[in-house]
Amino acid sequence: MSLQSSRLPHPMVTRIAVIIGLLILWEIFGRMGTSLFFSPFSKVVMSGHEIFYEPEVRRALLTTSGVLALAFILSLALGLVLGLSIAMSKFTYQTFMPVLLLLYAIPQITILPLFVLYFGNGPASKIAFGVSHGMFPVAVSVIAGVQGIKPILLTSAASMGATRAQIFRRITLPYLVPSLFTGMRLASTAALLGVLLAELYASAGGVGHFTRRFSETFQPDKLYALIGALAIMAIVINESMRRLEKRFSKWR
Amino acid sequence: MSGAAAGVSGGVTERLSRRGRRLSLLTKLAVFAALMVLWHLLTVTEIISPFFLPQPMAVMTVFWRILSTGRALPDLGVTFFEFAVAGPIAVLTGVVAGYLISMTRYSTVVLEPVISSLYAIPIIIFYPISVMALGIGPESKIAHGALFGFFPICLNTIQGFSGVDAIYLRMARSTGATKAQLLRRILIPAAAPTILGGVRLGLMLCFLAIIGGETIASLEGLGHRIVWYAEGMQMVNMFAYMVFVILIATAMNACLSLLELRRRGG
Amino acid sequence: MAESLVRVESVSHTFPAPEGGKEVLALDAIDMEIRQGEMVAFIGPSGCGKSTLLNVIGGMIAPTSGAALVSGQAVRGPLPKQIAYIFQESALLPWATVLDNIKVGLEFQGVPKDERGPIASAALKSVGLEAFAASYPHQLSGGMKQRVALARALSLRTDILLMDEPFAALDEQTRMIFGEDLSRLLASERKTIILVTHSLAEAVLLADRIFVFTSRPGRIKAVLTIDEPHPRTPDFMTSQRFSELRNELYELLRDEVLAAIGNDRQGLS
Repeated sequence: MSLQSSRLPHPMVTRIAVIIGLLILWEIFGRMGTSLFFSPFSKVVMSGHEIFYEPEVRRALLTTSGVLALAFILSLALGLVLGLSIAMSKFTYQTFMPVLLLLYAIPQITILPLFVLYFGNGPASKIAFGVSHGMFPVAVSVIAGVQGIKPILLTSAASMGATRAQIFRRITLPYLVPSLFTGMRLASTAALLGVLLAELYASAGGVGHFTRRFSETFQPDKLYALIGALAIMAIVINESMRRLEKRFSKWR
Repeated sequence: MSGAAAGVSGGVTERLSRRGRRLSLLTKLAVFAALMVLWHLLTVTEIISPFFLPQPMAVMTVFWRILSTGRALPDLGVTFFEFAVAGPIAVLTGVVAGYLISMTRYSTVVLEPVISSLYAIPIIIFYPISVMALGIGPESKIAHGALFGFFPICLNTIQGFSGVDAIYLRMARSTGATKAQLLRRILIPAAAPTILGGVRLGLMLCFLAIIGGETIASLEGLGHRIVWYAEGMQMVNMFAYMVFVILIATAMNACLSLLELRRRGG
Repeated sequence: MAESLVRVESVSHTFPAPEGGKEVLALDAIDMEIRQGEMVAFIGPSGCGKSTLLNVIGGMIAPTSGAALVSGQAVRGPLPKQIAYIFQESALLPWATVLDNIKVGLEFQGVPKDERGPIASAALKSVGLEAFAASYPHQLSGGMKQRVALARALSLRTDILLMDEPFAALDEQTRMIFGEDLSRLLASERKTIILVTHSLAEAVLLADRIFVFTSRPGRIKAVLTIDEPHPRTPDFMTSQRFSELRNELYELLRDEVLAAIGNDRQGLS
């Protein structure tokens, strides 16, 4: 709230310094105790290096990435179709939007066991649970995007003789692009959450399964390394989605 | 007048929309009723096996028994105990951390992006650490729930305090307000709606994270009970508990929204 | 000049009642004739129905009774080949460049693809914005955006141009300069123009005839003829005659504006 002084270093520099400081604290604490559940940063990095050469873990990472990619694409496709059909007309909007919001509001974690019962404990249940997390944000963003179109643009197009198809292609679709990217960003994190939840709950493969195994066998260094990798993956996905979103919404 | 020009032959669309609103309330109920009837028919005729989808009437009967006999009380007690500890921790740490970060513009610029990046991580991946360190009992759920709830509360607190319109601050300073007066009279009232929004979201996430923790690894609690019935293939009981948890979550969300709205109005 | 291009025959329009209120009679049996090549202005208090009448003529609103005729044909919907619009706020597509914004209008109108480019460039040049062809609307000032809208309307090569308060969102200086530009351009184009405005000065500067509307329900209170050749220059605006005409218009409007305020008060109580 106070004015920024020009003597302070660039925020990025301080930000990195803060993060390095935290890692050093982690290292010190990790070396101080001889805890079963804690491991210094250096050891985590070393075993991180190791576990990613283990073929089992590699396969797990590949499985999870594949499942996530599929869940994301399906979320996008289903969310787009769902969103466009609800936003199509005032009538469909007023009828089905409340139903959509009702479904969206259901705490999905409570029905996770149901997904596993229906789809088995293989990739199908993970994909389904990922999609059930990812498709709603896409649909809601698409609907919000269509609702946000300035009426004057539609009126003006109608005055110039635009057909329904032209209005859809020239106005609705381009207007939707930024909302679609917002939806994609939200969907990517949500789908990741869904997939990991399903893997943690009942999966024979995938990264979630391995974190569980490392946790149950008290191997903190490996556990932290794997979780760290997942965290970095999540941040990278989110950040790249945010960049894309920003690039495609310049005109807003 | 430009509003009337918005739709081609605006009069028609306006009339349609009013009819549409009344219609939609009916259709909303109709869609819900139709789904229930469909559920009923599909299960009664055993087109869908009751092993997959139990009959709605059976679910309602068990649900009523859960309510009337107090059978769910032990699990409800565990889950609520965990929430009663984790919720306040999330609110307290989130608000205090958010306030401290927002105290200067520089710390806000430096730290806010770090916290919002961390928020992009599905917090659930840290749950195995909680279980490893704190065991399979309530402690790991409390830690996990508090961590889940912390982020939205902290981020909204930062946003709430740093988003206060500069003109109010100038006004307060020009009239000689002390630091305490500034906080009590300007900053808190101006930031309260945003912070309360974060608290609502944070508490909801905290509750759901606890249920999630119980689902993944636990010996008690509502989330565990659902899994327990799922593993025993007792579909009717499982559905009844799912309805129970969904209703609790919905009621909680409604209460928190009401609180938020009332504060916003006052 | 004698041919009447636009005819309005006893047009009435009621808007459906807002929740719980009674229906609003916006236009009450309006008759008018507008000749080929004429520039007319509609002026009146807020809510007098002048924009509604413009939209009836443009085919954007179907009147409750009566009809608008363009070239003797009853208007039943938008007539993109004969009527172009300029709206109050920017109706430019924010994601398209200035040039593409003009081209998309030609596309909607049904002009073949290879003809759109040259027509659009020429139109842009006529408003002096050819240097901004590749800019996006958010990079332009309000006045420039409205000039692009004008270029788009001109590119459609319609006989009739409808302008719904095109100056409303502009500041005072920009308005006047835009007004002069408009006067010069229109003198060379010989289009039939209907301008809806709140501004006395704009109406006097631009119009051959000014229709003064009563407060709701909208009727035509008076028609003022401004017998001054186009293009009109800043000299005209500072002349004695300009002030006299402006004052005359002000006298006509004053009672109606007061009546409109009275209407609103009644509506509130």
